[in-house]
Amino acid sequence: MKEKPYHSIHITKDKCIGCVHCLTACPTKAIRVKDGKAQIINDLCIDCGECLRACPYDAVHSHTTSFAALDAFEYKVAIPSTVLYGQFGGSTLPTEILSALRRIGFDEVYDLSSICELNNAATEEYLNEHPRPRPFITSTCPVVIRLIQQRYPALCGQILPIEPPREIAAKILRTILPKSLNIAPEKIGIIHLTPCSAKMVSINSPATMNKSYIDGAISIRDIYPQILNAIGKNQEDALMRHLFPETQFSGIGMGWSLSGGETRGLKNHRAVAVSGVRDTMRVLDHVEAGLLQDIDLLECTVCPDGCVGGPLEVENRFLAKSRILQLVAAAGERAVVDPKDVSRLYHKNFLSFDHPLTPVESHPLDADPARAIEKAQRREKVFTKLPRKDCGACGAPDCRTLADDIVRGLARLDDCPFVNKEKR
Amino acid sequence: MAADAVFRQEFPLKGGNFAKAGAVALLIKDLLKDMGLDTKTIRRAAIASYEAEMNVIMYAWEGRVSLAVTPREVQITFDDKGPGIADIELAMTEGYSTATPEMRELGFGAGMGLPNIKRSADVFHIDSQSGRGTRLEIIIRTNGHET
Repeated sequence: MKEKPYHSIHITKDKCIGCVHCLTACPTKAIRVKDGKAQIINDLCIDCGECLRACPYDAVHSHTTSFAALDAFEYKVAIPSTVLYGQFGGSTLPTEILSALRRIGFDEVYDLSSICELNNAATEEYLNEHPRPRPFITSTCPVVIRLIQQRYPALCGQILPIEPPREIAAKILRTILPKSLNIAPEKIGIIHLTPCSAKMVSINSPATMNKSYIDGAISIRDIYPQILNAIGKNQEDALMRHLFPETQFSGIGMGWSLSGGETRGLKNHRAVAVSGVRDTMRVLDHVEAGLLQDIDLLECTVCPDGCVGGPLEVENRFLAKSRILQLVAAAGERAVVDPKDVSRLYHKNFLSFDHPLTPVESHPLDADPARAIEKAQRREKVFTKLPRKDCGACGAPDCRTLADDIVRGLARLDDCPFVNKEKR
Repeated sequence: MAADAVFRQEFPLKGGNFAKAGAVALLIKDLLKDMGLDTKTIRRAAIASYEAEMNVIMYAWEGRVSLAVTPREVQITFDDKGPGIADIELAMTEGYSTATPEMRELGFGAGMGLPNIKRSADVFHIDSQSGRGTRLEIIIRTNGHET
């Protein structure tokens, strides 16, 4: 049963020069530089992509699905993150982007804004039916899920147990497409297009589903050139599709990728939105200390400003955000989903987790509590010998982490260049 | 008992230092995690120490937190120099608070602080001298349960 956890983030050794940028950027202190190369401690990594943003040498790589891998499927379906609508300048219509995806080889393309609205309605209903605990935390960000499993085990039960829009969309398509197309389910590839470095984690090792309904995730960065090329070629078709739409974009769901977008549509509940990994951790610390109990729903996304700040996007997030806000304003409060229909799916548990979120194994200083306590005391003593410069020269991100590594037997006091100097 | 491993550490607190509010409770929580205590004990300690730390920051001039951990229990003592609590029994009443409007604006002062601490702890002992200060001692047993 015990599987090695899957990670999407990897270091390309040839490119790594062993500097300290990623060391200090990592919010969970999961990186060490050993023998001149950065190494990721898998048990601590949450695949947030902060190292990927920080690396000046392009040595951090996030595993995503390649476009060529789609050839394995007879029928290819794209479900792009709504972040994609903000990537192509101020006047490109979402329909243009969706038609461009058809043009480059997808057989069918589905907009996610309507499913975001669906999720919103289901969330509202869940909160109505469950007065406790408070606050619930949204399940959308796969990094938040991993972070809670790893560092906030007490909060596992506070994740609102409704799957995020991408999975609900894929589940719906997985249910209806094989019948309507008369194609075997395994020959239909459902692909998410994403700015996120962690979607492959939620696909390959889902935390609350037996199996993900999505077959792969292509990074927006990878597929961007092809879309850009195709957009130029079919503007007229796209305009016509826009004027006579087959897809009704949801005003409530359109802004889902911006921080606060998931909770904007809630009518009767008090919500708070947090973005950025360090701010998210600060707020989760407060929740674990029993605060924020007057808040119904806490939206946490670890990327700055929400998914629109994902590390694998192309457009800078401020321009992307501005474009998406334009689209939100244009769509207004347009609802495309009837809450009564959502309620039927919700009560069939179609939207629920397959199983509750459970903590991952923790890593105390020692498996034996008495020894762990001794080591904690020793760690304080070791720490007083260190210079507190947090320079990273030892290979650990800061002096406190080096002290921790030393009592765990993973490093030595003389790894610190300053301690060495004094001895000589 | 004497052979028991014990971890001891002290943390200073400064009254009115809202910028660092909750920092000691967070350190305590992380220490307990590293010492491998169970999730429930850690959460109870986190809730109790956060509330107690906030009391010192909000009302006292300065204080000291002493943490002692053994495999069987977590003992946390909050000593402060401050105005003290004139009527402890009244202060223990749920909903009773002397918080200023500014404190309430920050989300404190619901009058649940001391009752919450007591609920999270297995042993709760409070001593206060008006005009001198307050000493709050709590023990959370690792095999205990919320009462």
